[in-house]
Amino acid sequence: MVGANTLRLYLTCIRNTLDAAMCLQNFPCQEVERHNKPEVELKTSPELLLNPVLICRNEAEKCLIETSINSLRISLKVKQADELENILTKKFLRFLSMRAEAFQVLRRKPVQGYDISFLITNYHCEEMQKHKLIDFIVQFMEDIDKEISELKMSVNTRGRLVATEFLKQFI
Amino acid sequence: MACLERASPALKEILLKLYRANKSIEIDHHLYEFGSVEYHIQSSASDEHHMYLSISTPLLSQEVLLPYGISHHTKQMITAICSDVVEIIEPAKEGYQLTLRLDFSKLPSGKDTLKVIAEISAVQAIILSSRLKEMLMNVDSHDTFQGMYKPIKLVYRPSEPFFIVRQPQKFIAVFPIHFKDKPDVIIATTFFQELMDVGSSEKWAKAPPCCWSPIPPPELRGELFEDLSTTGGFVSFEISSWHVKGKKLDKTVWSLLNFYAYVKFHVKSTRSFIQRRMRKRLEGLVELLHKRNIKEVEVEEEEEEQSRKIQGCKCMIRISNLPKPTVLKRRYNAFSRTIKRIRSRIKIQGFGRFRRRWLKMPKFSSSMGYTKLE
Repeated sequence: MVGANTLRLYLTCIRNTLDAAMCLQNFPCQEVERHNKPEVELKTSPELLLNPVLICRNEAEKCLIETSINSLRISLKVKQADELENILTKKFLRFLSMRAEAFQVLRRKPVQGYDISFLITNYHCEEMQKHKLIDFIVQFMEDIDKEISELKMSVNTRGRLVATEFLKQFI
Repeated sequence: MACLERASPALKEILLKLYRANKSIEIDHHLYEFGSVEYHIQSSASDEHHMYLSISTPLLSQEVLLPYGISHHTKQMITAICSDVVEIIEPAKEGYQLTLRLDFSKLPSGKDTLKVIAEISAVQAIILSSRLKEMLMNVDSHDTFQGMYKPIKLVYRPSEPFFIVRQPQKFIAVFPIHFKDKPDVIIATTFFQELMDVGSSEKWAKAPPCCWSPIPPPELRGELFEDLSTTGGFVSFEISSWHVKGKKLDKTVWSLLNFYAYVKFHVKSTRSFIQRRMRKRLEGLVELLHKRNIKEVEVEEEEEEQSRKIQGCKCMIRISNLPKPTVLKRRYNAFSRTIKRIRSRIKIQGFGRFRRRWLKMPKFSSSMGYTKLE
């Protein structure tokens, strides 16, 4: 119950922050002529960057939101209670990151210290609905947690079934 | 190799083909199987009834080296398949541990034929398991050794040795587990913990007690460092006399020999299961993202269509709300305007005023109406 409450608060906080931060507009690159780059990645012009916001649910789970004039980067650290969850999380998020083109807003490599990162630019905001993008990110976070838990349970269940079958041979 | 199936499928197929052939076939096959197992099958057209099967397989233990590599007990077990059909040729062919002469003319008829052929195809498994069977058969033996029993190292592959430690009234089989990848180690460790949990329950009290530890068990003290350095810990099974009685001996030995293969197969299947699950989830998440944005566009288009429909129907809605006499009056006025338009097709300047004054329809006063008195 407490866990569910803190999760709700955590997600609501992220949603509200994204709602405020996702005000992006087209801004050509100041360094290179006729180029248009996400300023949050370059970080060459401090006047184009906003203060990053770090939202922590606990020591293991946190979300970093970095905003600039034309782009927004969201980095997530997912909770990993034991070694099995650790490898499952790593495998799954790496699997998704390698197929980032299917998601459009997903970054191929997570920011250092985090498990997965999103990069949203003004072009994404023009093609997609802002509030729907935020809904997707929040839903994504919930789904990841759920999927990791389900995977862990499935692996344990499979192990138990296989162990049962192995021991049957002795009886 | 101590794989999960005893009979070699390729060997079985060739033996069946030879048995079913109406006339004698000239055959000289070399079969190579996983685990450095080699078969040589020879059959000549001149000798209709006999064929020769030679087998070369790595032996399980390094301790006992016999001149022909096969113990007397193993030879007895092989001959016991079907003594009429199987005959051991000594010495074996060069490069092989065992050569058998098979006489298919003496095979029993019916279902037993297939059974015998299957057992002949499983001769490699018999050779491999015989050494362990000999050891486990003497579990109740009362030879006493003072102090600790020395572990016997059984090696099939250099990277996968396991130990049999003899103790009073039981044997302990210890398997050092080694995996290269960390995820494999974790999946295997999860499996071993489940194995311990299941084995310790009341329902499985008859199964051999199982134990997993990340450090070498005390029984293996004094063994070589290379044998004791592992990534996946050590799994131990306690085999008592109950587990080796009668037909259970064969099953127990086969399960122990196949333990490594079983674990590796489970780890591999779990990895492929995780991969399938992730792929399915990826499709779901991508669909979710696109659905959210497509659905919004569709809803907007629907709303636009509906608003257009509502504008077209406005007047109809308003008329339907009015009282009937008013509706009739409006219709009459519209009709009379239409008639007038039809009549006065030619438009003359100023004629309209003339028409309104002199050509209008007389109004008849009704009893209900009010006439103002001048």
